[in-house]
Amino acid sequence: MKFQIFRAQESDHGLKAPQDMPREPAPALAVPTASHRGGDPVGPTKIAARDVSVFYGAKQALHEVTLDIPDKTVTALIGPSGCGKSTFLRTMNRMNDTIPGCKVTGRIEMDDEDINDRSVDPVLLRARVGMVFQKPNPFPKSIFENVAYGPRIHGLAASKAELEGVVEASLKRAGLWEEVADRLHSPGTGLSGGQQQRLVIARAIAVEPEVILMDEPCSALDPIATAKIEELIDELRERYCIVIVTHSMAQAARVSQRTAFFHLGRLVETGDTEDIFTNPRERRTLDYITGRFG
Amino acid sequence: MTETRVTSQTRATRLRAGLKRRYAREGRFRLYGLLAIGVAVGFLLLLLGRIIEQGHTAFYTHSITVPVYMDPARIDRAYPQGTNFQLLVAEQQLARMGIADNSAGTKATALRSLFSSELKFAAAARIQSNPELIGQTVPITAPVSDEADLYFKHEISRDTPADQRRLSDEQIGWLDQMKTAGLVTAHFNSGLFNRGDSTEPELAGVLGAVVGSALMLLVTALIAIPLGVGAALYLEEFAPRGRITDLIEVNINNLAAVPSIIYGLLGLALFINWMHLPRASPLVGGLVLALMALPTIIIATRSSLKAVPPSIREAALAMGASRTQTVFQHTLPLAMPGVMTGAIISMAHALGETAPLLLIGMVSFIPGIPSAIGEPSGALPSLVYIWENASERAFHERTAAAILVLLAFMIVMNAAAIFLRRRFERRW
Repeated sequence: MKFQIFRAQESDHGLKAPQDMPREPAPALAVPTASHRGGDPVGPTKIAARDVSVFYGAKQALHEVTLDIPDKTVTALIGPSGCGKSTFLRTMNRMNDTIPGCKVTGRIEMDDEDINDRSVDPVLLRARVGMVFQKPNPFPKSIFENVAYGPRIHGLAASKAELEGVVEASLKRAGLWEEVADRLHSPGTGLSGGQQQRLVIARAIAVEPEVILMDEPCSALDPIATAKIEELIDELRERYCIVIVTHSMAQAARVSQRTAFFHLGRLVETGDTEDIFTNPRERRTLDYITGRFG
Repeated sequence: MTETRVTSQTRATRLRAGLKRRYAREGRFRLYGLLAIGVAVGFLLLLLGRIIEQGHTAFYTHSITVPVYMDPARIDRAYPQGTNFQLLVAEQQLARMGIADNSAGTKATALRSLFSSELKFAAAARIQSNPELIGQTVPITAPVSDEADLYFKHEISRDTPADQRRLSDEQIGWLDQMKTAGLVTAHFNSGLFNRGDSTEPELAGVLGAVVGSALMLLVTALIAIPLGVGAALYLEEFAPRGRITDLIEVNINNLAAVPSIIYGLLGLALFINWMHLPRASPLVGGLVLALMALPTIIIATRSSLKAVPPSIREAALAMGASRTQTVFQHTLPLAMPGVMTGAIISMAHALGETAPLLLIGMVSFIPGIPSAIGEPSGALPSLVYIWENASERAFHERTAAAILVLLAFMIVMNAAAIFLRRRFERRW
């Protein structure tokens, strides 16, 4: 229960550190949060979304979403097509900024800092929040160059040896090193789909982000490649806060500890994955996870 | 409505008949395609064949080597250029051939016109470099005159009606005599490639125009490619979408369709009359052609930027690349093959453009070879235009030769385009 109180204060006082603030009774949050039942440990809140709405021109794609995303945890965003889960995912690294006519309202706090604040540079934010897309999109460069790209543009490696070390470590952590160690300088686009997706994950973790966003990372992959990626996600959870959008309920159940169900641009229900899948509070959630619509 | 029933047999017959029709249609379409290609190739071959047939004779020419007695009585040691070497040579040659001239010297004049004026310069140059040659007999080599060259190439003969040739029967007889004496040699016409324009066909070359065209294209490329690619990049990747951007886009598309002579008028008014840049110079020509090439380059660049998969852009942005980094490290390199193709095709267009050059004075007769972009110069297409209009018959074959040189220039440019595209091509 301790971390719930902590979370409430954090959202209340915005950017200020909660420790310095007078302790007030926690106001009720809009988000129903089920208490954790043990098993998978859930870290402190990494990202706190408050009343986030997204507009594409006049059309509202996301309605006042309030959601806490814990650190060192996999949070799955599920829901039928067009429910706003990808849109919500893209607010967290401000990729929506690149879409003309897109407007985001509400607050998204990462470590108590409003990421939409003017002082936050989206370029620096994206160094802290990595992203993996639906279709593997390695750059048309060598495997090495793909992974080295992030450290290079952000100036993270001081020497060539250091850069090589970062590349090797990232590829190892993405479980790709064994397969590509002898052809680091062949094109990244020559790998298989599953390997490409792991390469893209290696590229994302090479800059040591704090959060990794994944937008249906397995939807273009075969079951064996999917299993490998899921295994990888489970390993990465120890170090990163991971948010994954998925169409596959089975995948959400396999890889995530927390699940948020979106429908028609609204957050319907959120809670521990186990609770959502065994004991949903909302009728619509039940209908969706049992396959009555979607 | 009554329900119609078709037996399976009629159904099969109908299907078969329909199938036959469908195949016949496909066969006809293929035939039309082949016909179209056949006609296109036929015209191309006809065009090329005609040009080559007309032009190939321009690539060789005839020179004459005559022993010249450097008569001290006729040559002024201080001013050898003032000597009428052609007449001197003609008189000596007449004497050698055993022909007595009349008192007015008309035969010497007639023989003299068979030598190119180059003879005079060649002889004067020898004397100038070594005055000791005066009083000695020196062999001098020079091209024959254009009419004599045409006779040796069998383009005119004794059978040509006298009013259609400028050589008299007597002159033809002398030419035969000199040829039999072994004074005349046929050789590759290197003068065509290392001389500038001249009013004498035998001394006219394309080098001035080739250099002029190259300088002009250099100006065009240096201005149009960076400006065009930059404008396209800004419009495609940075500009906010809105009415102004739309308006600019529509106008660029319209500008690509403006007749080139209008650009010539604009260049005349803007660069020559207002900015007082040197008239007929590759600088002004290049500027005008750059204006003309800009819209094409912008359109080609924008469409190849559009063809870059958005996933690459997203990947770079999500990695924390700034917009400029995304454009210059990912989008532009991937669009490069298309950009190169567009740029070089518009350059090739600019190379062949004649109309705007008419208005900025590049069709004037300019004999020299330009050495700077500010000097008056011709260009290959305007040289073709000038030579085609020339009255001397020998310019006829040279016009075709100039066209061949222009085509070769274009083929080289297109080959460069293909090479560059291959070089920049990357898979994704």
